[in-house]
Amino acid sequence: MNRPILVIPCSGIGKVYGTVGRDAALQVVEELRPGATETMCLSLLVMGDEEARRRVQGAQTVTIDGCALACARKNVEMAGGQVGAAVMVLDVYRRHRHLKSQAVTFLDENGQELANRVAEETVRAIDALHDGRGDDHA
Amino acid sequence: MTMPEIIRKVGLIACGGEELPEGTISRIAARLVLEELRPLHTVTLCLPLFLAGGEAERAFARRQPTITIDGCEKLCARRATATYSGRPAVSFIVSEFIDYKGLRPPIHRRTLDEDEIALTRALAEAVAAEVDTLVEAQRSGGLGGMLSAQKGDGQKVVFADGTDEGLPVCACQSGGPPARSLQLASGAVQVVALDAILAQFAREGRPADASTLQDMLALVKIYNAVPPEAETDYAAALQREYAGFLARREKQA
Repeated sequence: MNRPILVIPCSGIGKVYGTVGRDAALQVVEELRPGATETMCLSLLVMGDEEARRRVQGAQTVTIDGCALACARKNVEMAGGQVGAAVMVLDVYRRHRHLKSQAVTFLDENGQELANRVAEETVRAIDALHDGRGDDHA
Repeated sequence: MTMPEIIRKVGLIACGGEELPEGTISRIAARLVLEELRPLHTVTLCLPLFLAGGEAERAFARRQPTITIDGCEKLCARRATATYSGRPAVSFIVSEFIDYKGLRPPIHRRTLDEDEIALTRALAEAVAAEVDTLVEAQRSGGLGGMLSAQKGDGQKVVFADGTDEGLPVCACQSGGPPARSLQLASGAVQVVALDAILAQFAREGRPADASTLQDMLALVKIYNAVPPEAETDYAAALQREYAGFLARREKQA
């Protein structure tokens, strides 16, 4: 059985892109690739939690960041994790500018659609990582 | 002319843990306080920015009293805030709040059901009540942390220099007061709310003397990380800025 890939969003709280990234990540782990993926609390990594560090060091990771500060990717890298793919919500938005949204607390229709697109892109990255791992599968 | 009201700020830090439903509740409760319940008196920061960001982010809890909202007993928000920034004034733990209220533990991480939304709103109300307590403590001089602003229609904040900057919500400056470059002897730095602070002192008729500069530096330090060794440099730069500000103001008049 493949070792689950960790999908870690930044969950930024100030802008809609953080909410979009979080929804996309949970969509992937709960609906699109359940079993093949897991998520974990990014805040645990921020706190240097040993178990969290071991988890990111022992698995492939896909990060989803809302903005250019790239908190998810940076924190995973600082914890010694390997970022197999880094999805940027802003990049996806730039390709779908009609999905403009400012509803941060609860996603509106555009925000949800943008989250769906981010989830699709994340799944493509995950599938590529699975395909590329060959005999390395645990 | 209506005198500007001093807007006191309370920082909110939610753990937002992705693995547990309680993390989702911590995040949404914080957003409800920011967006609906106490928009004028709260500001937030993404917790991961403590590590991924710089000193400006780590000074967050030193700028204003802070309330942390954690999903579980691991207390990531409380510990991160205390470790990297400053000791929180108040801490909430969602799991304990649920026990205390005798409510059903949440099961959804992505989309909350009706009961979970009711729980989240109850938590947000409790956080808002603590915001009121902290704001009142600041008002009575018990805590530092203020930004001078005039309330317009009760929702929008109009800064003292007359610029309308919308609601200050996010400490990363999306929707917050603008930062502007201040030229120090050691190089340029970005100073949050610099223009609003200069305008406030000018409106009060304060001269560019040592007493004013001391008060101005104290106000700048509330919203900016000023290293102790750079305070003299900041004071000199603020004096130049303020003298220039007064001269331009006089010319315009």
